[in-house]
Amino acid sequence: MPKKILIVDDEKIVCDMAKRVLEHEGYEVETFTDSSLALERIKEGPFDLVITDLKMENVSGMDILREVNNRYADTKVIMLTAYATLDAAIDAIREKIFDFFPKPVKIDDLKKSVKKALEE
Amino acid sequence: MTIRNRIIIAVFIQAAVICIICIFVYWSFTTVLSKLRAIEIIDDVNISLLEIRKSEKNYFLYHDVNALQELFGMGDAVEQVIQSSKADIVLSVGQNTYDNLLSKLNQYLNLSRSVIPGRAPPLDIETQFRSLGHELTSLSEKMLKQERKNVNRIISRTVITLLVSLGVILIFQLGVWQYFFHFIIKELAIMENLIRLVSKGRFHEVAIKPISPKNEIDYAIKAISDMANELEKREVVLLQSEKLAGLGVLISGVAHELGNPLNNISLMAQAYLSLYDILGDNEKKTFMADVITQTDRISKIINNLLDFSRQKKPELKEYDPGEIVDRSLALVSNQMKISNVKLRKLITDHLPRIYVDAPQIEQVLVNLYINAIAAMPEGGELTVAVAPAPANRDVIFKVKDTGVGIPKEVLPHIFDPFFTTKGTKGTGLGLSVSYGIIRQHHGEITVESEAGQGTTFLVRLPAYQNKGEKPDAQENPHS
Repeated sequence: MPKKILIVDDEKIVCDMAKRVLEHEGYEVETFTDSSLALERIKEGPFDLVITDLKMENVSGMDILREVNNRYADTKVIMLTAYATLDAAIDAIREKIFDFFPKPVKIDDLKKSVKKALEE
Repeated sequence: MTIRNRIIIAVFIQAAVICIICIFVYWSFTTVLSKLRAIEIIDDVNISLLEIRKSEKNYFLYHDVNALQELFGMGDAVEQVIQSSKADIVLSVGQNTYDNLLSKLNQYLNLSRSVIPGRAPPLDIETQFRSLGHELTSLSEKMLKQERKNVNRIISRTVITLLVSLGVILIFQLGVWQYFFHFIIKELAIMENLIRLVSKGRFHEVAIKPISPKNEIDYAIKAISDMANELEKREVVLLQSEKLAGLGVLISGVAHELGNPLNNISLMAQAYLSLYDILGDNEKKTFMADVITQTDRISKIINNLLDFSRQKKPELKEYDPGEIVDRSLALVSNQMKISNVKLRKLITDHLPRIYVDAPQIEQVLVNLYINAIAAMPEGGELTVAVAPAPANRDVIFKVKDTGVGIPKEVLPHIFDPFFTTKGTKGTGLGLSVSYGIIRQHHGEITVESEAGQGTTFLVRLPAYQNKGEKPDAQENPHS
């Protein structure tokens, strides 16, 4: 049974690229560019890993992170952000996060991090 | 002249008028008093003369020797009274009449002395005697009558003069206060107008007023003008600091705006490399096309940023506001047709002209139309109205849509650089640039909106004052 990954980013290309690369690695990937729809999807059932952008319209990455942590203890979260600030990172870490990537994201690093998250 | 001095002068004039009236009244009364004294004396003389004539009659009718004696005695007494009261009588009836009276009395007394007591005088003497006596009494009676008439005349003249003076003083009072009220209210209206300009932040218009103070209110107006000057200077300082703060917002905005497409390109390149062996030819082409789209996006951001920084000092010329509206509407007519937006154009006749950089103002208006059209995805009505503001000092452009409106929490940010609700379709610079352009024209851009009720943008521009003074453009606040 392949591991299920949810990707949330309002940039469609980020979703598409990450999906292609991670599907190639053998994971099952769902993507959302609208974070509010993603939030609804999370309520419907668990994923093994959620990769989300931090800064998005309507629902932010922090909202996604909180929702996941509240509902599913085993789901890991990797946060992406266009401009990494220390504050954002600290807030995210306080909310229990697996990894944090500043953009532009290195795909090899992301792949490694995903693999590590799903092995644990 | 100061208001204080004007009031002092008015009071002084009034006091002077009252003084003159008092002097006149005093003079009238002293004249009347001396006349009355003279009347009294003349009256006494008159009575004595009548007594003398009675004695004269007694002597001639009854040859009463005593009567002649009485006549002599009374005659001397009257002569003495006339001589001792010379000053009063002369003052009243004049020297000639006085001399006439005295000489007639002397003649009469001399004649009476020529009469030998106890013997009947010759008829011609008697006739002369009687006629002189008659002349004397009629002269004194005439004097008396004349003097009474004089006194009456002086009294009635004084009464009339007093009434007229009272009227003059009242009218003068009314005039003075009317003048002061009118003057002060007029100056206060100027002041009120200036304060209103200050309260609207239009310091420029207040500060340029050349005022050489002449009175207290002028000083107050000058103080307001100085205050506006100072406020304008501080506003420039504030603008500078806002500019710096804006620069921070701008830089972080640029970082974010450029970061996304850069990240996308990077991701695509990495995915392209890592999936190279399994990608089909078409997929590889799509990847590259996407890279081009993302670089276009970067170019667009950079171009807008250049426009934003290229805001130059406006090149001002005189224009009809309606002409600018027509030209700007022509640029979006096609887009309105496509978007099913109906236009309602309301342009007032005989608008004051404006002194602007036309392409810049057109840019602002087009930007507002595009926003309005974007706010009406289902179509709607766009109202473009131009009207003079009160007193023709300003021209107000109104751009109103029937679209989705702007939520309350978003309103304070709409003029911030890089703030956009259009997602990746907008750069968030349109309104920010518009704001800068209107400020440079000493105008004002404001917005009223309610979610679901549509949005109204108002652009106020100062009307062209054709007095040689032209609203000089402010230094570029974004340079």
